[in-house]
Parts: sequence; C-alpha cells; structure tokens
Amino acid sequence: MQIRINGEDEQVAKSGVSIAELLILKKVESPDMVSVQLNGEIIDRSQYHELRVHEGDELDFLYFMGGGAFS
Amino acid sequence: MKGFTTKAIHAGSRGRDVHGALRVPVYDCVAFEQESGRAIQLAFEGKKPTHTYSRITNPTIEDLEQKMLQLSGGRAALAVASGMAAISNTILTLAGAGDNIVTSPHIFGNTLSLFEKTLQPWGLEVRLVSMSDPVQVADAIDSRTSAVFLESITNPQLEVADCKALSRITREKKVPLVLDNTVMTPYLFNSREFGVDIEILSSTKYISGGATSVGGIIIDTGNFDWGCSAKLHSWTKTSGQFAFLAAMRREIYRNIGACMSPHNAYLQSLGLETMALRIDKSCENALELARFLATKPQVTGVDYPGLKKSACHLIARQQFNNKFGGLLTFDLESKERCFAFMDTMRIIRRATNVNDNKTLILHPSSTIFSEFPEKRKTELGVRPTMLRLSVGIEDVEDLVDDLEKGLRTL
Repeated sequence: MQIRINGEDEQVAKSGVSIAELLILKKVESPDMVSVQLNGEIIDRSQYHELRVHEGDELDFLYFMGGGAFS
Repeated sequence: MKGFTTKAIHAGSRGRDVHGALRVPVYDCVAFEQESGRAIQLAFEGKKPTHTYSRITNPTIEDLEQKMLQLSGGRAALAVASGMAAISNTILTLAGAGDNIVTSPHIFGNTLSLFEKTLQPWGLEVRLVSMSDPVQVADAIDSRTSAVFLESITNPQLEVADCKALSRITREKKVPLVLDNTVMTPYLFNSREFGVDIEILSSTKYISGGATSVGGIIIDTGNFDWGCSAKLHSWTKTSGQFAFLAAMRREIYRNIGACMSPHNAYLQSLGLETMALRIDKSCENALELARFLATKPQVTGVDYPGLKKSACHLIARQQFNNKFGGLLTFDLESKERCFAFMDTMRIIRRATNVNDNKTLILHPSSTIFSEFPEKRKTELGVRPTMLRLSVGIEDVEDLVDDLEKGLRTL
C-alpha cells in the first residue's frame, strides 16, 4: 500500500499494519520518543497496537529530541 | 537494569558512538549539518530525529537527559543552564498573566525572589501557604492556578511536606504538582511514585559531582494529563503526551535560550555515575554532625530531618527511605557569634552552594536572603542566628574536629 510519512510517499509491503508495526518497519530510531499523527490527529500511544494504517493515509512522526520516553 | 548506580553508569543516549567511545564525547559545537534542504526543513518541523542547533538540542546534553529520564522513570526530561533556569522555564511553560501559583514562603530565597520580584510584575499571582497544611493548599487553588510548587526539603528551613497528601489534592483539582527535588535527587526520592508531576533539579549540586558545573534538569514524571492544562491543552493536539516537553523545547526553552553547555552536560553525566555513593556518605556525615552539634552548649538549636526531635522526622523517614540529605542548620547566640564561628573554620569552607563534596558553611540571613527586610526574613523562617551546613563527603572526624575547635573559641 502507498501512504505518506512526513510528507513523503512511502510504500509498505504489508497492508493494514498497526502503527506500532509501521514504526518498526520504517526503522524509526527510538520509537518510544516519537509522537504519531494520523491524518492530522495525534494518536494516543495506547492505540499504537490496535490502530491500523490504510492506503492513502498521511502520517507524521514527530520527534522531541533528547529526553522523551514512553511511560 | 534495576540498581540506581548501574543505571547511572550504563544508561544514556541511543546507539553506538561512531568510534565506539564508552563515554559520549563533548560535542562542543553550535550547528549540525543536514544532507539536504528538505532534511533541514524536516528537522525544523520535528519530523527527523536529528540535532540542528545546540541551543535547542545537542548530543552530549541529550545523553544527560536520557540518563536522568531513565533514573527518574519519567516521561520526558530537559536539561537547562541552571536550577533557576529550570524553575523559570517550568513556570513560564505552565502559567501566564492572570494565572496564579500556590507555593510556600519557606523556599530557597532566589526562587521566592523569582516568583515575587521577577514574575509577579508580569502578571503572575503568587499565593503563599504552608505546604504542611493540605487544607490551606486546597483552599488556595482556584481555576487560574497553574501549579503548586514546593521543595522536597526546604532550604534552609528544612521542612518536609507530605507529597502524597498534596498530590491527592492537586490531582483532584487537575493542577500540576511541581517539586524542586535538588537536595534529595531521584536517588533518595522518587517523585513519580509520590504523585509529583514535574520534578526540578539543580544539577549543579549532587549531580555535578563536586560543584564542577552549573546546570538544571526538568522532568515530566508522566503523571499529569496535559489535556487538563488550559495553557498546554493546544500542545496536546500536536504533541500528545509530550505536550509539556514540546511546549518547552519548541517555544519557551528555545526562546528563552537558557541552554546547558555541552561541557557541563559531560561533567554532570560523569558526576551522576558516583552520585549515589556520594549521597550516602554525605547523609551519613550530616546525621553525625547534627548529633554532635546537638550536644554542644554553645549551640542553641539544631535542625536536621534525621534527628528524631525534628518535626519532619517521620514524614522524611517515610518519603526518603531513611536518609535525610546533606543539609542541616544550627543556631548560635547572635549573628556576630555566627560570623566569629565561621571565621574559625579551617576545613569547612565559607561558600554559598549545597551538596558539594566539600562541607560548606553559610549565614543565610546575610547572604541568600539579604534582599529581604528583617521582618520578612522572620516570616520566611530565616533567623539571624542561623548557620547552614551543607555536609560533604570528607572523613567525618575531621569535620567534627573543625566544628569542635570553632565552638571552643566562642
């Protein structure tokens, strides 16, 4: 499927992946320090495993360098 | 990793150093180059995990922030130029004109001065109550209260408030509880477990490892839902649970510019590794000196939370895992006697700092609190007869000897 991540077109081999899986697939460095926006809405971290990404979705991975962590 | 010192030694930044250095080097530089125009745009938008400019982030400082985060168990950490910068950045992030903060008159003199003399004229109301009286605290909170601020052990009054009782109130009222934990550090007091929302540390003190450098740390413990904060609500829409960190990193801290120097971050990461060992010795020495001073006829009073007669002994014992910090105060007959006694010191140094490796003596009334009128000093719990000892890690018999010889001259 094709999605957009941080404004760039990206191909993901598997469709319907969760946000947690996508962070791994895209080799996001320190995923626990990232906030994710899906189609303009910030996603609560508790939903990362449930919420699925679909064809055409637009995601933003947002970083707050140095000192953010999962809690 | 479970042990505090194991974490202090092994925790830190992501990834392996390019040369395999076991200690993150000092990145003593201002700017970081990106591979393209698009990459620098993404970095500015926070969509690329990279450093751009050392006023905002820096790899050596990030390493210290990561260590503090892992040691505290919090959600986010930010290193700043000093402990006072940590307090001012925090209050400016949480509050605006027309808001109020609830705090105690028994806090560090410069902190009180920041609140009353620097921030109050900008429209921040400062409400002073006793943190030992949760009812007073609850009554002082209203819809414009942006924070309740206290110190884990007040300096120099050495009062200890019941943090769990206060956090029950602040949680119910949806107001963040902000604690200056400088004199206990996450080693002796786990702010997150006691319901604190923002922990502030002057890393100049125990963390720096012997007064090597000035710095401050701000920790979001992860307890507070920033969606409940009128000022930070909008940040949750763009930054989720990192709203507090994002508001600082992308606005307040960035714009104020009180960033930590990479060299100081390096020294403080080094200091952290031995911090628990130093704190244990400092606390042990402080208890012994407090007991010694309490036996001396020239001393009219001794205050140390580790003494059973201290009004705060029980709550301190519960909160601080049976250790009571390195600060104590004692009184002599007069200010003149205090000065005469200070002048006899040969090992103990006359200096204004706390939690150095060296034991330091200070007359708070004529120094930290000198800007306040005498009547106000009394209200602030600062007596002209009071001396403060910040107890270091020397061999205690040498400290006892120094004090003993000084007292004999009075």
